[in-house]
Parts: sequence; structure tokens; C-alpha cells
Amino acid sequence: MSFIKNYIEHQTLNRRNLLLLSAWGLCGAAASSSLIGRQAAAATSPDPKICWSYRDRTNPFWNSIVAGGEAFVRSLGRQSGDLINLINGGSSEKSLSDIQSLLSRYGSGVALAVDPNDMPNCRPVVEAVSHAGAYVSTIWNKTDDLHPWDFGDNYVSHMTWSDVGPSEQTARVLFDAMGGKGGVVHLGGIASNNPAIERQQGFKNALKAYPNIQLLAIQAADWDTQKANQVMSGFLTRYGDAIKGVHCASDTMAYGVIEALRAEGIENMPVVSYDGNPQAIEMIAKGKLLATVFTNAYWAGGITASLAYYAATGAFKPSAEPREHREFYGPTAVITTKDAQEFKTKYIDTNPEYNWKDFWSLAKGPIRYKS
Amino acid sequence: MTQRLTMENLRKWVPLFVLIGLVLFFTAVNPNFLSLRNFARIAISSSPALMVATGVTFVILMGSIDLSMEGTIAVCAVLFALMLNALGGSLSGAGWLAIPGALLIGAVLGAVNGLIHVKLKIPSFMASLSLGFVGIGLSLLITGGDRILIEDPIFRSLLTVRVGGFPLMAWAALACLLIAWFIQDDTTVGRNFYAVGGGEDLARASGLNTGRLRVTGFIVAGIFYALGAIFAVARLGIAETETGQNFMFVSITSVVVGGTSLSGGSGGVWNTLVGVLIVNVIGNGMVVVGLPDYFQDGVLGLLVIAAVYLSTDRRSLFFVK
Repeated sequence: MSFIKNYIEHQTLNRRNLLLLSAWGLCGAAASSSLIGRQAAAATSPDPKICWSYRDRTNPFWNSIVAGGEAFVRSLGRQSGDLINLINGGSSEKSLSDIQSLLSRYGSGVALAVDPNDMPNCRPVVEAVSHAGAYVSTIWNKTDDLHPWDFGDNYVSHMTWSDVGPSEQTARVLFDAMGGKGGVVHLGGIASNNPAIERQQGFKNALKAYPNIQLLAIQAADWDTQKANQVMSGFLTRYGDAIKGVHCASDTMAYGVIEALRAEGIENMPVVSYDGNPQAIEMIAKGKLLATVFTNAYWAGGITASLAYYAATGAFKPSAEPREHREFYGPTAVITTKDAQEFKTKYIDTNPEYNWKDFWSLAKGPIRYKS
Repeated sequence: MTQRLTMENLRKWVPLFVLIGLVLFFTAVNPNFLSLRNFARIAISSSPALMVATGVTFVILMGSIDLSMEGTIAVCAVLFALMLNALGGSLSGAGWLAIPGALLIGAVLGAVNGLIHVKLKIPSFMASLSLGFVGIGLSLLITGGDRILIEDPIFRSLLTVRVGGFPLMAWAALACLLIAWFIQDDTTVGRNFYAVGGGEDLARASGLNTGRLRVTGFIVAGIFYALGAIFAVARLGIAETETGQNFMFVSITSVVVGGTSLSGGSGGVWNTLVGVLIVNVIGNGMVVVGLPDYFQDGVLGLLVIAAVYLSTDRRSLFFVK
């Protein structure tokens, strides 16, 4: 049970530091971090609180995001535990109310990185932050009519990923492995999620180029390993040997699919997935999985927090940056059996040391809107 | 009188008729449904759910409810995997100790649940729901959000080795069900569950220590959740906080659909078996017949209402709360 002991020790230390800091602040140093929050109109803050707001940590993608956020915090000479985690558990209401509480506690001394959980929630979050004079960077969910440049400096940046292209690439890898013919099934994410829609679109685009590939079924398995497992066993009953390949919209669902196949003694069915989790890369290296797409959530988690932080400290002025530095696509890389081993040593076994001040080094160009 | 008796007798069997009806329906739409291989698939998806639903059956028989299963499963699954890997990673070595270890953890969590409910006099609904969240948080704290993989081929043989067309996991679950049947029918504790569920005042007046019995019920449930956790890990080879996901809905639904009354005192583990099979046959069947996925959740809900309607005798209920 040493982890509990460590946790308690860590928390006690934090508490001690907080008490010391507060005492120091009360003794007259006006620049103490806890007092800065009261000056609502302060333009920048030398030592803002860094916070990540996201769904939950059980999902490997979000786990990597937070790991990146913590790495950035450590790069400032602070401890991982100094990153404030706001976990919304998939509720937009909780996401917003937690952020409001944070703002009323620390005021403008906040650098916030956030996935607002769904698109409509982005506006109230951004408005609350900018009203408080704090700084926010968002990822994934934002409506098309909302732009960072409409909020001066306070809405620093938005990053999302374009999944259509990479998903089409993995589908092509899959179809080639199937020899260009035979039946294929697609397991998608929660039907209303933007990445689920885009990944399915990429799959369909690839289908057009392969006339002898027969689309058997598309079914949502909600990003969930157990549900994907059950859906795949249902598919096996319905189509039996007609299934020659499986296209999954996420790694987590691919794990369930592969176990459903394993239960039937099927070991060599081509399966492709998306997200590039360490476990998936491992499976590609072992030949159990054909391809996945690495979205570098670790870098995304660090750089999103970094953008908000350095804007808050005044190290750079967001409104002076071009628009492609304020709305941009995150990195994507298709990983196949050829490069899995090399990729694993480079990105999975150790996380590369990123320069968190090099904000746009991995960005993939400005966001294009369908109009 | 005779007619009434036959109606009552019939009603007891309604869940089974519903199950057979569903099988016939799905077979009519897609003949592939009725095959040993598909039944094996249904058995795999049912095994963990059967253990969890059996556990909660005992609690429901007492007229209480337990909603802590998702947290308990998450903690048991994660600690089971950690213990197994720490003890050499294989059941053939010292790793087998992880199984009694996990069951013990399930029992402890169940005991905490029961004691909070009984000693602090907090309704079981609220006590168990809250403890479920505590469990989820605890497992997250242990894993830090990571997944623990189990590669041991002996442990995974629960899924990969088949006897008579069904994986070992299904047979193991059946054996556990027989034990549950024994507890229910042939032990004093089991009979007392019915006594408390049928009328707690009477049971107490006849000298039964109902508080202790309730705690026992939650402990038994916790042990079965741990079994469910072990099967769930065996099915995917992954232990994580999400291992417990969705078990609350599936297990409570199965118990009710199987004909065990939520007010306590009637039903039992065989009803639960039928209920679990109904829910999993519906889940499998809807994919097999190719129902569009946006219909599936809605249809599942309607089928559950229909099954409960058919299997409860409404004339014996004065009011429904």
C-alpha cells in the first residue's frame, strides 16, 4: 500500500507549501500568488495556476494528455501535483461550474487548458475565462463560429485533429492487407462525436477506391472495449467467415475486437485502429494489429497548457500572432508494422524531451471549416 | 381456484418463455443465431454479468439494493491483476493466490458497504451508490489511469480453452451459480434472506439478528462481484478502472427481468440466470439481425419493460413505488 502512503505524504507536503506560501503572502509581499487573484483587471500574472479540465483519466488518450500537462509543469521546476486537474466525467455542466469555481478562487491568475466536453459548452467556458481576465487554450470541441481572435489575448488558441485523412490511410493499409477483396466491418465511436464521424468518413472514402471490398456493417461501439467485444461476436455470428478485416475508430475498441477473435481461435485477421496508445503500438510491433494513428496526446497536453501559461505570464502576445497560430490541427502519424519498433523506442519507452516554448513545431496547419 | 393456481404457476415460468420467445424470434430473422458457436459467444458475454447479477440477487432478496458493483469490480479487477503480476504473473506459480486475494477484497468492500448501511442507518441505495464512486476513485488512484495487461496463458485459458463447445469461463460461472443456489436454498443464511425480504418486522420479532444478516448479504454479494471482476479480466486480458463499466445497469436489469421482486422476498438465482441470458440474448441478437445501432438502446429498454410486465403479478401489488 505504499502508493497510498506516498500520496498522503505528497498531499501533506503540498499543504505545508501552501500554508508557508500563504503565511509569506500575508506577511506583506503583495506579489504572492494567492493575492494576485483579487486584481481582476490584471493583464498578466507572473505565476499563474496551471489547470487542465478534461473528461477522466481512465481513458488512455486523456491519460496521455494529463501526462503531457504534468511534464510541462515539471519543466517550470514545479511538481506534477501542482497541475490542477478538473475532471468533468463527461458532463458539460460540471466542466463549466468547476471552471467558474476555479476562476472565483484565483481570478485572473489562471492558465487553463480545457476540452469543453461538447461544442456548445466552449463559448460559456471561454466567456467566463475572458471575463475573469484569465487565459484559456482549448482542444477538440468548439463551434465553427467561435474564434480565439474575437477574444483578444484571453482565448489563446484552439487545437483539434483532422481525422478523415489518417483514417482513410489506415483503411487503405487494411484493404491492401486483405488483398483488395472480401468483407469488412467498421466499429465506430459514440455516433454524435466529431472524431467518430470523421473517422467513419475516412473509412468510407477509402472504400470508393476498392470496388472489390464489400462493406458488411457499420456499428457504434462507443469507444468501449467491452461493448466492442460484444459487437464483434455478434458480427461473427451474422457474417461468419465473410469478415476478412476490421476497421476500428479507436485502439480501445480494437482490443475488444481482437479478444473476441481470439476467443474463436482467429489469430491473423487484419485489424486497424486509431489513437496510437502504447498498448496498440506494442501490438503492432508484435503483429497483432496492423496500423494505428498516433495523435501525440502527450505533446498536445503539454503544449496546450504551455500556450495558456506563457500567454498568461506575458511571454508572448496571442493577438500579435497570425491566425494559424491560434487555430491549428494537431499532429497525426500513421504507424504500421514497418515503423512500429522504431516508433516505440522513440515515443513510447521514453517520452521525447519537448521544448514547450516551441509552440507550433508539430502543428499541422490552420483549421479548415466546411462552409 | 385451480385456474388461479395455474396462472400463478405459469407466471413463474414467464421469464423462461420470454427467453425462448426471443431465441425463436432472432432465429427466424437470422438462422445463424441458433448455433452452438453463437451460444458460446453469448455465454462469454454473460459469464461476468451472471456473477455480478447473482451477487446483487442476494441483496435484492432482502429488499435492499446494492449499486456499488462498478466500483467494487474496478478495485477487485485492478488489485487482482496487480497481485497476479506481482506473484510471478502465472496461475501455475504463486499467482493463484491472487484469486482468493481478489475474493477477500470483494468481501471486505461488501462488509464496509453493509456496515455503513446498517450501523449508520443510511439507505442501502445511497450507501452503496456512494461506495461505488469511492471504489472507482480508489482504482483510479491505484492505476493512475493505466491499464494492466494479463498475458498468462493459463489464466486466459478461461477464454481460449473450450469444453463441449463452451469456454471454461462459462463452466466456471455455472459452478459458481450452483454454489449460489446452495447458499440460497440449503443454508440458514440463505433462507433468512427470504425471511427478511418477506417481512423484516416478523423476522426480527422471531429473534433474527437482521443487522448482521444484512451485512452478511453484502459480503456475499461482494465476493460474487469479485468473481465477476475475475471473469471480466479473463475475457479481455485487461484490468482497468473501466472494467466495471455498465455492470450496474446490466445486473440490476437482469435480476428484475428474471422475475426477482425489487421489494424482496421472492425470486432467486435461477431467475437471475434467465434474466442475464435475456439481456445478453437481446444484446447479441440485435447485432445479429442487423438492427441499426440508434434503435438498439431504445429497443433494449422497451424489451426490458415488456419482460418485467409479463413476469410480475400485478394483482398481488397494492401499490407500486
